[in-house]
Amino acid sequence: MKSLSLRDISVRFGEVQALDRVEISLEAGQICMLVGPNGAGKSTLLKVLLGLVRPEQGELHIDQQMAVQDYAFREKIGYLPENVAFSENLTGWQVLSFFARARGVRKERIEEVLRFVSLEHAARRAVRGYSRGMRQRLGLAVAILTEPMLLILDEPTGGLDQEGLSVLWEVLRVWREAGRMVLLSTHDIALLERRVDQMCVFKRGRICARGTPLELREMAALPIQIYLTFDDEKVITRLRTLEVLSSWITEVEEKKEQGVFQVRLVIPSHALLDYVQQQSLFSSDIRGFRMEEPTLDEVYERLLEMF
Amino acid sequence: MRRVARSLILHELSERTRDRWVLVISVLFAVLASAVTLYGRSAGAKAVGLTGPSLVTLASLFVPLVALILSHDAIVGESERNTLGLLLSLPIGRMEMVWAKFIGRSLALSAAVLLGFGSAGIFAGAVSRQVLWPLLLPTLLLGLAFLSLGLLLSVLYKRQVSAASAVVVVWFVLVFFYDLGLLGVLVISDGAVSQGVMRTLVLANPAGLFRMQMMEVFIGTQGLEQLGLTARVPSLGVLAALWSVWIVGPVLLGGWILLRKKVI
Repeated sequence: MKSLSLRDISVRFGEVQALDRVEISLEAGQICMLVGPNGAGKSTLLKVLLGLVRPEQGELHIDQQMAVQDYAFREKIGYLPENVAFSENLTGWQVLSFFARARGVRKERIEEVLRFVSLEHAARRAVRGYSRGMRQRLGLAVAILTEPMLLILDEPTGGLDQEGLSVLWEVLRVWREAGRMVLLSTHDIALLERRVDQMCVFKRGRICARGTPLELREMAALPIQIYLTFDDEKVITRLRTLEVLSSWITEVEEKKEQGVFQVRLVIPSHALLDYVQQQSLFSSDIRGFRMEEPTLDEVYERLLEMF
Repeated sequence: MRRVARSLILHELSERTRDRWVLVISVLFAVLASAVTLYGRSAGAKAVGLTGPSLVTLASLFVPLVALILSHDAIVGESERNTLGLLLSLPIGRMEMVWAKFIGRSLALSAAVLLGFGSAGIFAGAVSRQVLWPLLLPTLLLGLAFLSLGLLLSVLYKRQVSAASAVVVVWFVLVFFYDLGLLGVLVISDGAVSQGVMRTLVLANPAGLFRMQMMEVFIGTQGLEQLGLTARVPSLGVLAALWSVWIVGPVLLGGWILLRKKVI
């Protein structure tokens, strides 16, 4: 499986249009993140792909050929549901053993996977004694058991502590390097920004924006904030005489204890080059410099407002 | 049978035999069945007449309860734990999954029944062949019928607690109140309802079917007539058909409902 796409997917639940002609595509080695408010259609799309929700219309294409979610397709996918909770009576090992038997996976792989998700010490304990993060890691272990070509992760960061997040980052890295695909839905946008290749923003059953995180930043065109520190207040007076720059100065603060003056500039994202050119006029006076880019969460909020 | 279904059957058996409630009620059933046979053995020649009906009453109370406890969370439990989608992401069909769950839990139920009658058998001595062996198969059939009903309820309900409440109601209605209701009908109608209609109504309840079948085994046709009951247990073919409907019907219906569900 080198590519996968869902085309023209529509799902209606009574009066609610859960998905409206949604299209997504994935190439080998790509990680795609679905984001959006609750009820926007992210999980529904994942379930359509898994065959758990029947769409009114739409097609699945694998390697440019029309396909169905038959048993052969299901052999190639691994799935982590949102807030998964396995039977409390079983141990982690027993849970994995069942899925290993069902998938025809050898026992040694269970040990490997348990080590991978750092659960080897808790494997013989009943799931009822697991923390939420441990349960999530067990779910992740089930999902990666067969080293599936496509990993579908529904809110994978939910309940994960730092150790669990490290496990998840490692899974994503390994899957990308092995040329496999990952499709995940999340609310933790900022956490995943640097780990995904593609991002689809859902709003009321439609994808309102898509692209790499960088492309979405450009699309949102949120301003950048720059904090400059000077020893002498006169420099600020000089800055105000610079026509372009003066309009970006939003705040001047005197930091008495440190004996410096701080200026906050809010620069439109497209004007960063103009700023750099202007800065050359007073760069020798700058004592401190700090730049704050908008977070991906802010970009996401802006995109939701825009579309 | 495919690999996933086989694995699911074993998984269900293993998981269900660890369920505290199933264990508690199975052990209680075993203790009471042993006590009944031990008491009956002391009755000498009357042992069969005493032990048999007592065990029938015990089985008709406990076995449906164990079966309903075993099956009420089969689907709704998975759904609440968010593992139903995970199971169905395996190469297994919805109907196949329902059957695999039913078979796995049937094995757990059979183990519970065998534990009960097995422990009773230890104390039964010579009575064992006359009492326990005739009881075994109908008791298993009774259990399977209620297991099947519980499984259907687990498909119908969206919350496990609702399914649990529903099985308690089903147990009370079919095991306790159904017969009382029929008695009420007889009293109110002042015998106007024919024996044939009453017989049909009795057979329409798996617990009634079981009791009628076992009464004939232990009391005999003459005994029933002495009690004023002229109704006969249906032929073996009809019996097999009735039990098949009770056992297969709800599972099939549950599987069909799951198949038609748009969202899992």
